[in-house]
Amino acid sequence: MAGSHSGGKKRAMYIAVLAIMVLLPIGVTMYKLYVLNYPLAGLIPEPVYKVDLSMQVDGHGEDIGIHTYLPKTDSRQSIENEQNSPGIFATEIKSDALNREASWKAENVHGQQGVNYSYVVHAHHVRYNIPADLRIPDAYPASLAPYLAAEPGIQKDDPQIEAELRRIVPVEKPAMLDALTRIHRHLQDDLANRNFSGYTDALTALKLGEASCNGKSRLFAAFARKLNIPARLVGGLIMQQGSKRTTHQWVEVYISGHWVPFDTINDHFAEIPANFLTFYYGDLVLFKHTANVNFQYTFNVTKKLMPQREAQAALSQSVLNVANFYAFFESIGIPQNLLKILLMLPLGALVTVVFRNVIGLETFGTFLPALIASAARDTGLLWGIVGFLAIIMVSAMVRRALDWLQLLHSPKMAIMLTTVVIVMMAITVGGVHFGLFELAHMTLFPIAILAITAERVALMEAEQGALKVVRITFMTLIVISACYAVMESFFLQSLILAFPELLLLVIALNLWLGKWIGIRVMEFLRFRRLIMGAPA
Amino acid sequence: MNALKKFLVRLEGVRERAGAVLSMNRRNLHYIYTRNERRHFPLADNKLIAKEVLMAAGVRMPVTFRTYGYFYQLGSLGRDLERYSDFVIKPAQGSGGSGIIVIVGRKGRDWVGISGKVYTLYDLKKHISDIIFGVHSFDLGDHAIIESRITQHPDMQELSPLGLADVRIIMCDEVPVMSMTRVPSRQSEGKANLHQGAIGVSIDIASGMTTQAQFLGQPIDRHPDSGIPLLGRTVPFWPEVIGLALRAARAVPLKYLGVDISISPDGPQLLEINVRPGLEIQNVNGRGMLPVLEAAENGGRRD
Repeated sequence: MAGSHSGGKKRAMYIAVLAIMVLLPIGVTMYKLYVLNYPLAGLIPEPVYKVDLSMQVDGHGEDIGIHTYLPKTDSRQSIENEQNSPGIFATEIKSDALNREASWKAENVHGQQGVNYSYVVHAHHVRYNIPADLRIPDAYPASLAPYLAAEPGIQKDDPQIEAELRRIVPVEKPAMLDALTRIHRHLQDDLANRNFSGYTDALTALKLGEASCNGKSRLFAAFARKLNIPARLVGGLIMQQGSKRTTHQWVEVYISGHWVPFDTINDHFAEIPANFLTFYYGDLVLFKHTANVNFQYTFNVTKKLMPQREAQAALSQSVLNVANFYAFFESIGIPQNLLKILLMLPLGALVTVVFRNVIGLETFGTFLPALIASAARDTGLLWGIVGFLAIIMVSAMVRRALDWLQLLHSPKMAIMLTTVVIVMMAITVGGVHFGLFELAHMTLFPIAILAITAERVALMEAEQGALKVVRITFMTLIVISACYAVMESFFLQSLILAFPELLLLVIALNLWLGKWIGIRVMEFLRFRRLIMGAPA
Repeated sequence: MNALKKFLVRLEGVRERAGAVLSMNRRNLHYIYTRNERRHFPLADNKLIAKEVLMAAGVRMPVTFRTYGYFYQLGSLGRDLERYSDFVIKPAQGSGGSGIIVIVGRKGRDWVGISGKVYTLYDLKKHISDIIFGVHSFDLGDHAIIESRITQHPDMQELSPLGLADVRIIMCDEVPVMSMTRVPSRQSEGKANLHQGAIGVSIDIASGMTTQAQFLGQPIDRHPDSGIPLLGRTVPFWPEVIGLALRAARAVPLKYLGVDISISPDGPQLLEINVRPGLEIQNVNGRGMLPVLEAAENGGRRD
């Protein structure tokens, strides 16, 4: 029985390979977790904000300039993926120690023109503890002098402000914490919040007994400076999902080498939430522009979840880490995003295998659902599905039209591919035109995938009828959605990035599924009469 | 208590019957992959090769009139077909009955299909060039076969008045395992394909008697179009049908096969062999075929 002998050998080999594929990744993962102390908490995704600033002017032939402050990366906030779409304007960006200024200029501007500037913000919540016994210093380095001086809007030496300060902080030589608490509580509780977008100086805020964020901040700064605590204004944005025009101001005071934030509109004492974005420091104006050009601006904020950057960076430092590979890939110009897609594809394929072999859904090809799902990461699942359906419909319709013309196969397929490309371009142009930028990314739907899909659909419709195509399209959509959910899971992405050896486990699962001879869920339905038996 | 017992008995029956069903995964892994080597697949997938091997082994099949594999050969198509009025055009590597045209007569310079549709020389040329181009096949490029049309035995014609019925026998290790005949209906448009709405009628292997029938997933006992009773009939030439299936199974190195046979007035003829025979035959027969398959395996081992 030579056959059964070699069968036994094959079986032993199978079990050996399976064991290696299970034990090796688990072993390496355990080693990383317990010996190298990989931070598991770093795998939980955190929120980031995409901020899209759009500015518009109406020109009547004049030269137009727009000026604003762009956020800077510092220890609390990091600004990435900046994209400038200046239209007809020439851009100039300057940076000094504190602020980053951007200006856009154009000559002889006619009609409505705009500038778009977008970036991704990744910021932290920060809170300071001020020791109760900390005294207010008598002297500071000379560089802090500007933060102690009077300014046109911060009239710290005005007698009324001085009198009010004495009322709020009646003690001689108060402790730092005590003084700041009294000032903060007074501005937060006794001064009414007013939703007013205009300029209010410190004295006016005091006289009115009510103020918006900028009035309160100036008054805070005036009180602080009077007490010999350096203070500065901060201009920024509270990032919330949606579009807004309202910006925000708060104040920072200098305590033991730190600039500590206070917000007496939202009652943040020595703390600042993660969704506060700093634009500039100082008593400045966010937007300046040529007069009479009907200047309009909007901030569009989108909140997303992203894998934790620090955790990934920390991982790349440790030995025996594949994260070092990522640096290697990046050095030859392959971005980490592409690598992520690559690493997630096996998981997508595994999902497809489960749907096909265990549940029993038919799909267009084994890898197509995973590929479409990864293509949809730029457009989002919804628009990805829309794009996929568009391809299927266009392919089917064009095939019918061409069948009627009776053409040979290859030229027919070439025409179909061309039509699909034209439709994708049209969708992109339409997307840009109507401001649906996710839709505009449709062009990035890899064309090879489109070609395969189009040809498969056309062949299947010709051979097995439109109903079959509709059925398989529907089932493919289900599998694409499942693939998308798995492949776009930040947890799984971080997990695979940190522990790429887990891909061996995917092989192990496929090895097991490859020998699974159970009845598929859909087969239970197919053979239900046979299995349930006729009621006796 | 009694109800629970009843339920458990019923559950046991469900388990047993589910265990008898040959699933897609098991069919592929235990029967197709282990019994049919990949390199032998063309024997079944390509009708030209199959015909050559099977006819050499004495298996009776329709006569091949012509084959076309290149576009330049189409120039003489008109002359080639001039003397034929009764033939079938099919792709050598087609599947599921796609790409097949059945011609039953002439009308002037044109040909008449079995449905009454008239085909001009241009229509046939276009169809054959589609076949050569691989439109009806998995691979790029194919051959078109023009062969004699099988006329049905009167008993089969009575059973299947709307087109050619075929008898499918599943062979495992040269043992016939399960059988059915597929009867075209109006729904299937003359095609003997269950998924397209043909009627499946199970045949008892031992006696050649029809036992159950199914149409669009529902059990029936009469032909939905003609009203003729489908059950309790004996398939003509049954011992010869089984003999032909056995001879075909022995002629090829493929040990898990679907053998398709049609019955003409003077005996059975083999239409094609299939290396991935479908599982629907179990629904048609009203039982799973795993027990019989396992018995066939054991029988095969004793040899």
